[in-house]
Amino acid sequence: MIKLKTENLTKRFLGLVAVNKVSFSMEEGEILGIIGPNGAGKTTFINLISGIIMPSEGLIEYKGTDITYMPAHERARRGIARTYQLIHPLENLTLIENVMVGSIFAKGHGLREARTKAEALCHELGLTGLDRDTSRLSIFEIKKMEIARALANEPEVLFLDEVMAGLNSDETKDLIAMVQRIALERHLAVGVIEHVMGVIRELTHRVIVLEAGELIAEGKYEEVSKNPRVVEAYLGGGTV
Amino acid sequence: MNRTASRIFALLFGVLAVTLPFFAGDYPLQVARNIMMYMALAITWDMLLRSGQISFGIAGLFGIGAYAAILSVVRAGMPAWFSILFAAIFAGGVAFVIGFLILRLRAMYFSIVTLALGEIFRIIIHNLHDFTGGPEGVVIQKGVVFGGKANSLYWLVLAGLAVAVAASTWFEKSKIHFALTAIRNNEVSAKSSGIDIFRWLLLAFVVTSAIQGLLGGIFVQSYGFATPDAVFSADFTLLPLAMALLGGVYSTTGPIFGAVLLGLVSEWLKLKIPYGHLVVYGIIIVVVILFMPQGLRQLVRRTPHGADGRSA
Amino acid sequence: MIVKRRVAIIAALSIAAMTALIVWKPTVLIYGLQAAGLYAAVAIPMGLVLGIVHIVNLAHGECMMLAAYAAYFGCKALGMDPLVAILPTAIVTAIFGWVVFQLTIRRALKAPELNQLILTFGLAIAFSQAINLIFTSQTYKMPLEYVSASMDIGDISFGVWSFVFVAVAIIFAYGLTFFLTKTMTGKAAVAVGQNPRGAAIVGIDVYRTYGLVFALALALVGAMGALFLTKSAIFPGVGSPFTMKSFCLIAMAGIGNIPGILGASVLLGVAENFLRAFRPTRDWAEIVFFVLIIVVILARSLKGRKS
Repeated sequence: MIKLKTENLTKRFLGLVAVNKVSFSMEEGEILGIIGPNGAGKTTFINLISGIIMPSEGLIEYKGTDITYMPAHERARRGIARTYQLIHPLENLTLIENVMVGSIFAKGHGLREARTKAEALCHELGLTGLDRDTSRLSIFEIKKMEIARALANEPEVLFLDEVMAGLNSDETKDLIAMVQRIALERHLAVGVIEHVMGVIRELTHRVIVLEAGELIAEGKYEEVSKNPRVVEAYLGGGTV
Repeated sequence: MNRTASRIFALLFGVLAVTLPFFAGDYPLQVARNIMMYMALAITWDMLLRSGQISFGIAGLFGIGAYAAILSVVRAGMPAWFSILFAAIFAGGVAFVIGFLILRLRAMYFSIVTLALGEIFRIIIHNLHDFTGGPEGVVIQKGVVFGGKANSLYWLVLAGLAVAVAASTWFEKSKIHFALTAIRNNEVSAKSSGIDIFRWLLLAFVVTSAIQGLLGGIFVQSYGFATPDAVFSADFTLLPLAMALLGGVYSTTGPIFGAVLLGLVSEWLKLKIPYGHLVVYGIIIVVVILFMPQGLRQLVRRTPHGADGRSA
Repeated sequence: MIVKRRVAIIAALSIAAMTALIVWKPTVLIYGLQAAGLYAAVAIPMGLVLGIVHIVNLAHGECMMLAAYAAYFGCKALGMDPLVAILPTAIVTAIFGWVVFQLTIRRALKAPELNQLILTFGLAIAFSQAINLIFTSQTYKMPLEYVSASMDIGDISFGVWSFVFVAVAIIFAYGLTFFLTKTMTGKAAVAVGQNPRGAAIVGIDVYRTYGLVFALALALVGAMGALFLTKSAIFPGVGSPFTMKSFCLIAMAGIGNIPGILGASVLLGVAENFLRAFRPTRDWAEIVFFVLIIVVILARSLKGRKS
């Protein structure tokens, strides 16, 4: 079942086209890789879908509803969640309180219920020491906390923007398994931006490739990585 | 400080505050009234600050409340009690309307606009001679609340303070705390957690403004008169700000500590140096911002918080 | 093209309005321009700091007040004319600015913007109250004869001394523009203002540049303080209105647009004096600045949202 789709989604910044007529869709239970060289517009694309910025043209549809210009908080409530490339834990709040926020506002739970749910989430992700201040967490814990914060929205579509960056290989392996399990158990549609192609290969069912804001290829990782246009885009832009 | 100790401390403090008129003389009572007034304003300033918005317009809303109260008595014959309530409603209403415009602004733009609004309120009151009495102000001829009895007025101010403390505690213990903290930290990620930023800012702005108006109403009722220079005085912005910063922001206890300390010091300084004792406030603001951004609370609570704000 | 047409329309309308004003109420225009000169001359240094150091210095007006006090007591002690004191005052305030920058503002540059705002707010209070403490709220004024020079055209008579502010504003605006676009130091300062990190990479000492710019701004403010003393009585609160007015002008012109401050100040100066010219509106002249500042900020924020 299609959860999310875009048609000709376009974003221009003062003449620069950051995202150019991108049409794609995501299905329930699917883990989709979003790849492309630096500056290809991957994060902008997610920003458009989550409503952080508004598109110049095009259409975004979520579960059959047009959400193209819906405010970001409203999309969050309806079930679109995401993490950010630049992590920003909420200072002055503890780990558990950070996770509660999504539950309180996206789902409208009371504080007590939100706490119970957040505890369960943290447990599921292997987070302990829930009353610690966020300044005392390791990178790995912060990454997991960011995922837990997004999951607290009880989303149906989840975007992960470089959550594996900065982790060592054991941690990466853990997190890949965790994301796969979460997606499976919750029937989520997950969109993943990653620079490490090994992660994309292991984690995703399908990838789309952006270059200079345009969608230039889509399909299984193995096929796409042999596509001459993709190879060229990456050689032009740097490493695969 | 552990929880039980701080509860006992708060209880003692409360009992002392309530019973003060039974054993303190006129002068200490007057000092306490001043301090409580500024303390309450400091708390309300901090409540909005928790969302990351710095208001320089406390004096503006305080003054609006003051005039709403006194004019409703003098021009419309409203009972003194009701006029104080009316002051809160009026200031809250004004905040609701201007909030729609200015709560879209951020950082220095919000701060400067609140400062400018305070000035605009003052000038309007100053210039509408026929209605407001102009620069000479208005006097309540009869019907001051409690007939002006010192003890009762003390309790009235204490009640105003209690409202501020209660509201602040509500902000701290409810989901408002999560909303404002998330907004202050990062608005983008707050939205992604389903937070309707404008709605929560509006709530915080209206509630704090209403309390500031209420305090303005209590102020004029306890002195029986209002002039633009007295009720829109920059002191009502400056002192609360310095008190909250000194005690430690983002809490109820911080502004309380700061107000007691700075209130007592300034009372003493006022006697020693009639002109320019406010220089101490300026210096305290500068020193606190530069060297102890967590305020004095830092010394009491040893939780290490990172510096607030900007991502690297 | 559309922008150009709009500018042309605005220019034509304002020229028409000015001409009408000359015929109808010539003194409004004359005093309006004089006020504009004063406002602009004070605002330009603040615009320099905001454009390059990115600090809203809420103690800006207070700095001018301090300079005026320094000039007053310097003149008293040495029997100088304030005009002679302009240069020495500028030097003293430049040094003062450098010290203030190093001791306070520099330490807050990495802190959130709001901390900087509160910091300079605190400085403003500390400055004005320190003067209040030392000299009380008494006013001081230099008795000078040349400031009352007046001129008659037809049947109107007006003071001419205040035109000196117009001259100074123009000198400040174009002098600074020259400095920022033609000299090495100036270009480096602009580079730092636009991209501190990039400037640091090419070897510019960012903090030193900030300090110099702040000191330069205070030198200009210091010169204005001495000049202000020729015309006006001074007291501890004399500077504070200039902070808001300066910010208003800068916001109207757009941050970084120093010559634009001249145009904005003419609009405000004339509008204020227009209201002042009629009895029923006289008391409302003061409100013009505050209303405009809000309108300008709101309009800019709406525009920013669209693009």
